Amino acid sequence: MTIKLREYFQSTRGAEPLAVFRIGFGLMMLYSIMRFYFMGWIDKVYVKPNFHFKYYGFEWIPELGEYTYILFVLCALSSITIALGFKYRISIILFFLSFTYIELLEKTVYLNHYYFISILSFLLIFLPLNASFSIDNLIRNTKTISVPSWTIDCIKLLLAIVYIYAGLAKINYDWLIDAMPLKLWLTSKYDLPIIGEYFMQQVWVHYLMSWGGMIYDLSIPFLLIYKRTRNFAFFMVVVFHVFTRILFPIGVFPYVMIISALIFFDNSFHEKIINYLKRTILAISNYKTGKIKNEVKYTTNRPVLFIVCVFFAIQISLPLRSVFYPGNIMWHEQGYRFSWRVMLMEKIGYTTFKIEKQDGKYFYVDNEDHLTSYQEKQMSFQPDFILEYAHYLGKYYNQQGLKNIKVFAESYVSLNGRKSQKYIDPNVNLLEVEESFKNKTWIMPLKYD
Amino acid sequence: MKKILSIFTIVAVFASCGGGEDPITGDGYDRSSLLANVTDNIIIPAYQNFYDDVVALDNAVMAFATQTDQANFDIVEEKWFSAYRSWQHVEMFDINTAELINFRKKINSYPCNTIRIELNAANGGYDFDDANHFAAQGFPTLDYLINGLPNGLGDYTSGGIYMSYLQDVVNDIKVNTNIIKNEWMSNRDEFISSSANTATSSLNKLTNDLIFYYEKGLRANKIGIPVGIFSGSALPQNVECYYYNLETGTASKTLLMEAFDAVKKAFNGISFDENTDGEGWDNYLQYLNALSNGVDLDTDVNQTFDEAIDALTNLEDDLMNQIIVDELKVRAAYDKVQRGTVLLKTDMLGYLNIDVDYLDADGD
Repeated sequence: MTIKLREYFQSTRGAEPLAVFRIGFGLMMLYSIMRFYFMGWIDKVYVKPNFHFKYYGFEWIPELGEYTYILFVLCALSSITIALGFKYRISIILFFLSFTYIELLEKTVYLNHYYFISILSFLLIFLPLNASFSIDNLIRNTKTISVPSWTIDCIKLLLAIVYIYAGLAKINYDWLIDAMPLKLWLTSKYDLPIIGEYFMQQVWVHYLMSWGGMIYDLSIPFLLIYKRTRNFAFFMVVVFHVFTRILFPIGVFPYVMIISALIFFDNSFHEKIINYLKRTILAISNYKTGKIKNEVKYTTNRPVLFIVCVFFAIQISLPLRSVFYPGNIMWHEQGYRFSWRVMLMEKIGYTTFKIEKQDGKYFYVDNEDHLTSYQEKQMSFQPDFILEYAHYLGKYYNQQGLKNIKVFAESYVSLNGRKSQKYIDPNVNLLEVEESFKNKTWIMPLKYD
Repeated sequence: MKKILSIFTIVAVFASCGGGEDPITGDGYDRSSLLANVTDNIIIPAYQNFYDDVVALDNAVMAFATQTDQANFDIVEEKWFSAYRSWQHVEMFDINTAELINFRKKINSYPCNTIRIELNAANGGYDFDDANHFAAQGFPTLDYLINGLPNGLGDYTSGGIYMSYLQDVVNDIKVNTNIIKNEWMSNRDEFISSSANTATSSLNKLTNDLIFYYEKGLRANKIGIPVGIFSGSALPQNVECYYYNLETGTASKTLLMEAFDAVKKAFNGISFDENTDGEGWDNYLQYLNALSNGVDLDTDVNQTFDEAIDALTNLEDDLMNQIIVDELKVRAAYDKVQRGTVLLKTDMLGYLNIDVDYLDADGD
C-alpha cells in the first residue's frame, strides 16, 4: 500500500492539462468579475448597504466602501495574468486573497460556487499551473516536460468532492419523495419556449429530474475518470449544466463546471487544444517555440504535499459537520453552508423584530430602514442572519438612547411548499444569545404535516 | 477534439432554440386569463369609476368657486369622500405610468403636511411632481382644505388663499387619473399578454403590487402606524382621513374596510361590480395544488382575510378613538392582518415562485 502510494506520488505526466485549466480558469474568472461589475452588483451589494452580514469569526474584516472596486480590479487583473501564466504564483495568491476578501465582506450573497472558487484558487496556489504554455516559461527560458500526476489529479478530486456531496445531499425526503423544490421551480417555468407549457407542468418530469439530478451528481465523477465512459460523461456534463443554466438563474457556475471537467481528459486532448491555440492566436504574436533550452522536471515538495493533504482532509470532513446538529438541516441550516448543498430548497421567510423597552412597551422595526431588500430576504430565513441582525439592532437602539432593551424575532418560514410556521422562539431575547457552533435551541423545530 | 466541439455545437443549438413559435399546449394554467379578468373586470372598471368620481369632484369644486356657499361646500365634501372611497380600489395597481409619476404617493400620502400646504397656498409656485410636495396634495390635503381649516367655509368666503389651491389639487388629480385610466384602456392587450415569469412581466408586477399594497398601504399605513406598531407609542392623529374622521367619527374605518374589501376581491378575481367571480390568485393557487396543512392555500388566505376583517369590523367605528381608548384591541386586530402578510409573503410567493423585487419601492 505505502509502496503503491509512494509510486503514485512519484509518477509524472505532461503539464498540458494544467495549462488548459489555467487558461480556462483565468478567463472564466475574468468574465465572472466583469459580469458582476456590469450588473451593477458591486455597488448594490458592497457599497450601498449600511450594514453587512459577516461570517462567524470574520466579523473583523474591514469594510472598504467605495474602495471595494479596487478589490475587483485586483481580482480581474490577476485573472488575466493567471490566464497568461505571467508571474503565476503571485497572481494566483493575489486572486485568492482578493476574491476571498470580497466573499467575506457580505454573507448575504453566499453561493456554493463562490466558495468553490475560493477554495479552488487556494489549492491552485500550490500547483504548477504555469509549467507549460506560459509567459513565465518564456521569461525563465525553461520548459517543464513533466509534472507529478497528483497535481492534476487533485483538481479532479476537488471536483469529485463537490459532485458527490451535492449528490448525497439530494438523498432526502423532500427531494426524492416529494420532488421538492423542483416541483415548485419547474412549474413556474411555464414561459420557457417549447418545454415550458407542457413538460415543466408534468409531475413525472419533476420526479425524473429530481432522481436524475441525484444520480447524475453521484455518478459523474466516476464516469469522467473511467476512460471508456469519459466522452459520454462529458456530454452529460454539458447537457446537465446547460440545462440548469436555462432553468435557473445560476450565473457562470455551469460554465465553470463544464470547463473544469475538461481536466479529466488525457494529455493528448490538451495538447491538441494548446497546439490549436499556438496555430491560431499565437501565430499572430510571433510566439517563439523550440528555442527554449532548459527542460526541467517539476518535483514534489514535501511541505506543499502536506498542505494539500490537510486541505483535502478539511474538504472531506467539513460537509459532514451537520451530523452534530439535530433536526432537519434545511430548516435550521446549521452546517448547511460549505457543504455543496445546492438547489435543495425553496425557502421563504418573513421576519420582523420586536424591540421591548425597559418599561415593557414595545415596537416593531421596519427592516427597510436598515437592510436592502435582498438582505432582508436572505435574513428572513437564516438563523445566523437573524441573530446577527438582532444584535445590530440592539446596538443601534442603544446608540439611540434606549437602554436595557430586549430584541425578539417574530419569524415565519415556509420550506419546500410547507405551510409557513413559526421559525424563531418569540420568547427568546436574542440579545442574550451569542453566535457559536452550539446547537441553536432558539430555533423552533420543524413541524411535519 | 472534434467530437467535443460537435457536442458543444449540438448543445449550443439546443440551448439557443428559444423563441419557438409553436409551443405544445399542455394543461398548464392560463395565466393570461387571470390578467385578462383582473384587467377587464377589476382594474379598468375601478379606474373608470374613480375617474368619474374625480370628475364629479372637479365639477363640484368649480361650482363651489363660482358660488361659494355652504350648500356647494357640502357637495364638495360629499364628492371628495366618494372619490376617496373609489381610490381604495385602485391604489394597489401601482404599475407603469402610475408608478412612474408616483401617483400613489401624490394621491394618498398622510398625514398631510399642513405647513407645506399653508406655504403653497400663500405663495404659489409649487411643483406637485416634486417629492417634497407629495404630502401637500391628493386626498389627505383635500381633507385638510375641506375639513381642517380653522374657519371652514369662512376661509373661502372671505376671499382667502385656499380656493385656487383647492382647484389646483383637484385638477392635478383629474389630469393624472385621466392619463392612467386611458393608459389602462389602450395598453390592455399588451398588458395581459405579458404573463411570463420575469421581474418585469405584468403578472409578476401585479402580484408584487397586491402583496406590497397589503403590507404597506393597508396593514402599515392604515392600522400599524396609527396604533404605534413601529413607534412604540400610538399616533392616532396619523389615521387616514384624520380631519373628516374628527367630524364624522367613521371616515377612517370606512376607508379601511373599503380597501380591505378591494384587496379581497382582487385576490379572488371578483369583478368590480361584484357580479362575476373570474380568475384570480385563488384559482392560480388552486392550480398549483397549494396544499398546506390539509387546507388549500387559497382557502387559508381567504379565511385569514375574513378573520382580519371580522376583527377590524368589531372595532369602534371611530378608529382614532378606538386607538386612544383601547390600543390593545387595535393591536390584536393588527396581528390578524399581519397573519395575512405572512401568508402572502411566504406561502403564496413560495408557491408562485416569482421574484419579489422591492428594490424600487420606497418605504412608507
